Amino acid sequence: MENNNKIDFKDLWKQQTISPSNIEDLLSKLKHFKKASLRKIIVVNILLIATSIFIVFIWYTYQPAFISTKIGIIMTILAMLVYLLVYNKLALFYKSIDSNQSNSEYIKKLVAIKTKQQFLQSLVLSMYFILLGSGLSLYMYEYTSRMTILWAIIAYGLTLSWVGFNWFYLRPKAIKKEQDKVNDLIAKFEIVNNQLKEDL
Amino acid sequence: MEFENIYKTYWDKIFRLCMGFVNDYDIAQDLAQETFIIVWQKLETFRNESNIGTWIFRIASNNCLRQIEKEKRFPKSELPLHITEEKHYSLEPQIELLYKCIAELPEADRIIISLELEEVRQAEIAKIVGLSEANIRVKIHRIKEKLTQKFKENGK
Repeated sequence: MENNNKIDFKDLWKQQTISPSNIEDLLSKLKHFKKASLRKIIVVNILLIATSIFIVFIWYTYQPAFISTKIGIIMTILAMLVYLLVYNKLALFYKSIDSNQSNSEYIKKLVAIKTKQQFLQSLVLSMYFILLGSGLSLYMYEYTSRMTILWAIIAYGLTLSWVGFNWFYLRPKAIKKEQDKVNDLIAKFEIVNNQLKEDL
Repeated sequence: MEFENIYKTYWDKIFRLCMGFVNDYDIAQDLAQETFIIVWQKLETFRNESNIGTWIFRIASNNCLRQIEKEKRFPKSELPLHITEEKHYSLEPQIELLYKCIAELPEADRIIISLELEEVRQAEIAKIVGLSEANIRVKIHRIKEKLTQKFKENGK
């Protein structure tokens, strides 16, 4: 069969031990599959929505008098909603890839998705921290204005250093970690993409 | 075609394709199962305009490519031969060598040669991979030369 040698690769290929096909096993996996893939998305959604509801509840019970408090609350809720929106969108990106395209089209799609993901992640993370930080500062104003100056400074000092720590340390670190991962992957996909170019 | 029939007809072929890609029995099994989960989900959208085999092989090979994302966990080709052998299956060294050599090829070549050895027509391989038939022919020729070379180096 092979024209250039005596080794019959096709014959060897077919002799590979096959993992026994077990359709019952597969069908039982199918049942759990959808639930499992949705679980994480559902959990994140519930957590953030519950937090938002809790904040609204505080607003309702304590009836803040200052407009700054209300704007602060709205900004923190907005931060979470924006995060959720993009998080959900990213999760859906993968579902949108058609797995029935040729390998070369498929790998191009993967690269496109990963690039988009990279952009969104750093943008959203920054927006999240800006909204949350300024929302918190505004929210605090009403309550600190009733404190003595010293306590107000301490309260703001603590909050702002926490926000600053997030912004200057945690945010760049999180972004870098994500980017390294995604860049690595994009590089790998690009390699495969190049393998899939015509080279006559 | 019924899902169960498809499963019975294609399980072995898909398993070998995955095995050629990763050369790891357990991962290959996971990949093959994932493939059939996708097939099951998408079966309704399959229209008979293309060959069902082509359709399934596309899904399987794309799923193998997706697996690059998870690859960091197991540097498979760096494993010495006998470690895979020590698992629950002992294979003829020749078969093992073939799969090991294939798994060491560039990703696209792994898919192309696996499909060729699975006796998929070259026109179909071209459709699955997304290259021209002429190009596929050249690539197959080169890959086979490479494999033969490796076999010779290994004392055959």
